[in-house]
Amino acid sequence: MSLALLLHMTITFTPASRAPMHSPSQVKRDFLKQWLKCLQMCSYPKKEMSILERKKAIKLSADVAMASTRNATSCWSLALIAKASKEGNNKCLVEHLLDQESERGKMASTFQLAILNKKLRSKKIIKKSCSVRRVKKLAPRMVLASSVAKRLVKNRTQVLKSLVPGGESMDEFSLIRETLDYIVSLRVQVDVMRCLANASDLLNCKGVHG
Amino acid sequence: MELGKCAEARSADCGEKAEEIGAEHFQLGEEIRTLVSAPPASGSSFTALLELPATQAVKLLHSPELEETPRAAELPPVFPACKLSVFLGAGNSPETGSIPVKQELTDSDSPPDNSLPLAADPMAVDGDRKLTKRKEREKKVVKGPAKKSKTAAACEADREKLPYVHARREKINARMKLLQELVPGCNKISGTAMVLDEIINHVQSLQRQVEFLSMRLAAVNPRIDINLDSLLAAENGSLLDSNFSGIIMPSMWPEGQFNVNRQQCPQVWHQTVWGREEGNPNFITPENSLLSYNSSANSASLHSNQLKMEL
Repeated sequence: MSLALLLHMTITFTPASRAPMHSPSQVKRDFLKQWLKCLQMCSYPKKEMSILERKKAIKLSADVAMASTRNATSCWSLALIAKASKEGNNKCLVEHLLDQESERGKMASTFQLAILNKKLRSKKIIKKSCSVRRVKKLAPRMVLASSVAKRLVKNRTQVLKSLVPGGESMDEFSLIRETLDYIVSLRVQVDVMRCLANASDLLNCKGVHG
Repeated sequence: MELGKCAEARSADCGEKAEEIGAEHFQLGEEIRTLVSAPPASGSSFTALLELPATQAVKLLHSPELEETPRAAELPPVFPACKLSVFLGAGNSPETGSIPVKQELTDSDSPPDNSLPLAADPMAVDGDRKLTKRKEREKKVVKGPAKKSKTAAACEADREKLPYVHARREKINARMKLLQELVPGCNKISGTAMVLDEIINHVQSLQRQVEFLSMRLAAVNPRIDINLDSLLAAENGSLLDSNFSGIIMPSMWPEGQFNVNRQQCPQVWHQTVWGREEGNPNFITPENSLLSYNSSANSASLHSNQLKMEL
């Protein structure tokens, strides 16, 4: 049973779930379509791949598909596509996909990539200079509850920024919105992939036992 | 009022400005210059404010009061941005003399609030002290200040800028509430840090699930070959919002074998699908020869009521 068949099956059989933007099944169908296209492009270059390569291809296609369903409306999707197209192997794949979709998305992704690179570079410079210049004065100071809480929040914000693609270049305000979007898309992705995996398992079991 | 207008005009830029501030952080004097060049709006009072303490800010910057960690340079920009915006509209008289910062630092008594240093600062203020604290505060924003000074100075300015700051905080709080509703189990948690913890855990778990599922899918299928043309042809006519959730349920099954007999029971599948989707015959035809789903022989608990209805 090929993966694409399962994908196609799940197109019609996606269970309804919550998605704030469009109808849930519509989002899932879009994602599946994109994923299908991505996988098709993945499979053309070589026919036999190791399991790890397959896994990477699957994940990459899923990520790119997920990001392209947003149609460049959210920052993280652009960042994800930009990151994906940075690697040499994936570049033509991603570009091919985006060419099919929209030129605007592609341009946005390259633009975003440039911005991200610039900001990340500058931040790295700052970090290095700060660690060199700054003399840490560990003067004992009364620890205020608010300062402790602020530090906790700040730490967690940093972690969240590292999790969400493209999060480093966002302020906290838009980070929250991007996180919302990202969580929803991740859920769609997980639901669809889980459906597919279960369907494939089911069919395999039936094939064995039937 | 000009103060409010200036503040609001820069509200959208605070985030980017804080970024720029962080970006130029490596030289303290340059930071002030960046601040001067950054604000797009007129802010004559702001620039005056900045130009004046340029020399004194450098002096104050090197004061031993500052003990913040380097990471503080990358404060979540909303916090310093809020406080920075507080200063923007402060068109005050130029500073006359340097006022000891320590005194102001120790005077503050900020209540526990992780969003803003609260008001109700009983300190009496005159214009000079205000100005000094603001300049000292602003450069601390730039540099990553000690928290006490932040709270002391920000308390002062907050009282003036309270509505604007509150509006921004309310927006952030509204979004945090949305996040809380989205992430399961977050509704009962109070406190931004714990909610952020839960959100981080949720995102990490979702990402791990994606990895795991992709590995699982890679294991199931020998290769990713796609018979696309027929599928896509059928796809257009068969995209219906099916509630046929029985075949796909989020339960874990043991990994099946690879040998799927494709010729097995295409008829059964055909009948099954036909029974379900009377209005979409297009879907059926390309699938018959390819699928080997034996629904009649199914005794698995996975199948839902819909499937059993057809059998």
